[in-house]
Amino acid sequence: MTETAQRVAAWPWISTVARLGLAAVWLIAGGLKVGDLAASGRAVNAYRLMPFEAAQVVGAVQPLVEIALGLLLLIGLSVRLTAVLSALLLVVFIAGIVSAWARGLQIDCGCFSKGGDLGAGQSPAYGWEVTRDVGFLALAGLLVWRPRTRFSLDGLLMRGRDE
Amino acid sequence: MSKGTKQRTAAKRIVEQQKAAEKRRTVTIWTTVAVVAALVLAGLIGWGVVSSQRSDTASAAVPSGTVDEGTAFAVGGGPVMVDVYEDFMCPICNEFEKQSGATLQQLISANKVTVRYHPIAILDDKSNGTKYSTRAAGAAAAAAEGGKFQQYHQALFDNQPAEGSDGLDNAKLVELGTSAGLGDAFATAVNDGKYDGWAGKVTDEASKRGVTGTPTVLVNGKQLRNPTPDALTSAVG
Repeated sequence: MTETAQRVAAWPWISTVARLGLAAVWLIAGGLKVGDLAASGRAVNAYRLMPFEAAQVVGAVQPLVEIALGLLLLIGLSVRLTAVLSALLLVVFIAGIVSAWARGLQIDCGCFSKGGDLGAGQSPAYGWEVTRDVGFLALAGLLVWRPRTRFSLDGLLMRGRDE
Repeated sequence: MSKGTKQRTAAKRIVEQQKAAEKRRTVTIWTTVAVVAALVLAGLIGWGVVSSQRSDTASAAVPSGTVDEGTAFAVGGGPVMVDVYEDFMCPICNEFEKQSGATLQQLISANKVTVRYHPIAILDDKSNGTKYSTRAAGAAAAAAEGGKFQQYHQALFDNQPAEGSDGLDNAKLVELGTSAGLGDAFATAVNDGKYDGWAGKVTDEASKRGVTGTPTVLVNGKQLRNPTPDALTSAVG
């Protein structure tokens, strides 16, 4: 096998790791919030970006969509589309954190928890939160670019095409 | 290979490629449909949960004697309004009570302030699924109806369970009420979770007002970031 061919053969494996990693991110993020959707709504409301009623709906829908995306990535169905949607969602989250940062709000992002205000003496970790989300965005970007992965439903359904 | 065979092979390959391309298209269309359907379904479930929560809080029984749009119990009758948002599971609220509770009491006794206590439930996930924050807030509402809000409020903080534990069970909540002199109506309300829905309503209303942590203390509508006894006294003036 030539060096180029080897490099080509490595991509599906790299993409597989990215796909499963991103699936884990969504499943954990959604799983930690789904138990109390009212709290998730309050965490969205803490960003003060929309009326409470809208935040309630966004907060309830978001963890379920996160879990759905996580499951779809886990089984590898329509990887490019789910990666695009993941990337869009992450961009929205990053924008939300940056806006909270810019406005000087003292909140927990509610990314992997139910969020809310921080107590006295606690400082927000916006820089770290944004960096982390940018890392997840990179995983999604990789999958948009190279969506072909091993152990995926896509591969199973497409079987017969020369890989 | 004859020229004819070559042509036939080429034609066959083109047909196969077209078939493969068509299959890819079909698979792509259906997987896209499946993804969209899964996400819409997830969204609808979330929407359904919100709707049922809303109808629960809308139909919740409101205890008698509330003030501030049915979200608080007032103690004292002074001119300066102090709003206190607390979760009975919140350790910092307990610290606040230990540190500044006596000062508030003095200000109430001196008829300088009216304290409006808003028992909210934002730490329901810290009691292993028993929703202690909600049950405690509901019990406090039942105690208020029996005329013992202040005593019961104090008892809940004196007996505060650790975050992450099951919290106090209903029997213990009733026992604390009985010690404060509350009767059967109180016990029934606690055991039936009569005012648990109201606790959700107060919590939503607090969030709507921008309260996202506990304790949140406001003096005449202005938030005190660090409500120490000195800060309270000087804010009240």
